[in-house]
Formats: sequence, structure tokens, C-alpha cells
Amino acid sequence: MLRVRDDDAEAFAELVELYHPRLVTVMHHVVGNADEAEDLAQEVFLRVFRGRKKYHPKAKFSTWLYTIANNLALNALRNRQRKPVVPLNLRDSGPLGPRPVEQLAKDTGAAPGERIEQQELAAVIQEALAGLNERQRVAVVLNKFEDMNYAEIAEVMEMSVKAVKSLLSRARENLRLALKDYIYMEGAPSDNGAPEGN
Amino acid sequence: MANLSDEERENLVAYLDNELDEAATQELEARINLDPDLRKEVETLKQTWGLLDFLPKPQPSPSFTHRTMERLSLEKLGRVVDTGKMPAAASVWPRRLAWAAAVLLTAGLGYAAAHYFFAPPDSLGQDEALVRHLRVLENWRQYEHVDDLDFLRALDAPELFGEDTGASD
Repeated sequence: MLRVRDDDAEAFAELVELYHPRLVTVMHHVVGNADEAEDLAQEVFLRVFRGRKKYHPKAKFSTWLYTIANNLALNALRNRQRKPVVPLNLRDSGPLGPRPVEQLAKDTGAAPGERIEQQELAAVIQEALAGLNERQRVAVVLNKFEDMNYAEIAEVMEMSVKAVKSLLSRARENLRLALKDYIYMEGAPSDNGAPEGN
Repeated sequence: MANLSDEERENLVAYLDNELDEAATQELEARINLDPDLRKEVETLKQTWGLLDFLPKPQPSPSFTHRTMERLSLEKLGRVVDTGKMPAAASVWPRRLAWAAAVLLTAGLGYAAAHYFFAPPDSLGQDEALVRHLRVLENWRQYEHVDDLDFLRALDAPELFGEDTGASD
């Protein structure tokens, strides 16, 4: 990042290459749309470049990156609430549905019937995640997929650690209620040995 | 489902996230060992969290970095083009003043030309008539009481006021 601060475009390209898969994943889980996630991730990197002179070496780069990402994602979600669009059901086919590689992401060699069951389960989980409020969703995604601790999440979301603790507790309770019918579902992580979150 | 206060629930989630200090962790673990409802609660929360592993893993497009760098180049280029087109703020004012002066000069010349070429043709004739009839105008108040010209001529007759031109005292 120090090289980027000194206007090294090649270093910036390396930075984008290194961080974009994680950032796009986070954005996708927060906004729930692959194209929008990529657009937002691109905008995050452009803002990083525009603000490169303000970067302090003491700050952790990923924290700075996700702070920008958090602000952009929350703005995008608020704009969407002001101008609502009809969301496409993930189970719909078509060019804007999940990509084949996404659909196979959790394919563990299961039989076709089980695979469909897993895809349906993924859609239900995605719906449950989308049912959380924006801040809860961001906190969950950063905690679950970026392995951020409460202090890091607090820094990114510009709130206190206590507030993050409360936010995550309510988020997990909401998820538990939304997914209660699937907790003992056949093929769920608890039954087939999929990794546990903790 | 265990009957937990908000704070207890927050601590339970924090425990699962390894965010509790040593003493609080030990205390909570002791409670979990003794309370089957709490154990079930912990298990349910763990399983819910584990379900998130089933979310699709998005694959960013392979050209993401290339497209981002392209956007950055366009942005830089746009800035250069803008700088070339837009004059600096300091050089704007002299140009604006020159325009304002040109507009004022044109307006002034236009007015003068219009006055010279389109002045009413009889404006000089009116002045001459005014001078010619000056005596009438000066006595206009008295002439107002005169009904017609015959009456005025009759006033000029010497016998009208009893003057006898042929007689003498």
C-alpha cells in the first residue's frame, strides 16, 4: 500500500489482484447480487486509489478497505430501499441467476437429488441472511467470512465493541429463528460433517 | 429453548466467538455443563452458524483486475481532458469583464445610431412652429375666453364701448 501511496500503478494492480476475491465475496453476501457486488468492489478499489495519500502505515490495510466497503455497501442498500427493484429468485433460471460454478460451490459429490436439496438449502440460507437488517448482515459476513473479531468489526463499522457484541447476538438469534426448520435437515453440516462455524 | 436475558444471550454468542475472557468463559462453561437447555441452545446456535457454510461461494470474474485498472485509466484520462477544457478560475474573470465591456459598447453604439437615423422627422419643424406662435401662446389664457374670431374683431370696433368718434364735448 505504501507503493500505491507513491503512485505505483503496478502495485495497485497487485493489491486489487490480492484482495478482490475476498472483497467480492463479502460484497456478494451483503448485497446478494453478483454483478452489483463486482461493481461495488471496483468502486471500493477506485476509492482506495483516490484516497491513497491519506493512508497511514499504522492502519491495517484490510480494515481500511472494509471500512470503505462497508460505507459503500450500506449506501447501496439504502438506495435500493428508496428505489426498490424486484429481486430475482435465486432458484429462477436465466442469465442473472447464480452462475453454474456458484451452484456447484458446495458440491461434495452428492447425488443429483441431494444436490438439488443443497441448492434449495443455500437459497433458504441466503434468504435468511437477506432478512437481517443491513448492519447485522455486514457484521455477520465480516465475522463469518473474514474471521474478523469484534474489535476489528467495530473499527470497520465505526461502532463500539459492545455494540458489535449486541448486534451479532441479535443477528444470530434472528438467523436461528429463520433457519430453525433446517437445523436438523438431512445434509446439513451437523449431519454430514460439514465444518462448524466455531 | 433456554430462558436467557439479553445480556446472557450476548455472552453466549460471544463465548461461541471466543470473545469472552478466561474467567467469564469458565463460568459459562460450568453453567452449560449443568443446564441441558443451555447446552441445547449452544448447539442450536452452533448449527445455525454452520449452515452459513452452505452459502454459494461467488467467483469474481477473471477480468476483474483488468477492468478495474481500465476504469482507473479512464478516470485519470477524464481528469486530464477536463483540465484541458476547463480554464483556470483566475483566467475566467478578465475574459468575463472583456465580454461585459464589449456588450456595453455595442449597446451604446446601437443607441446612438438609432437616435441619429431614426429620430422623428418633424422634431425640428415643431420647434419652429413654437417660436412662430410664441405671442399667441403667451396670451393663451386671455384667448381662452374668446369664443370665435368674429367676436375678437368686434372687440376692435371703437363704438362698442360708447366712444363717439365724431362728437366732441
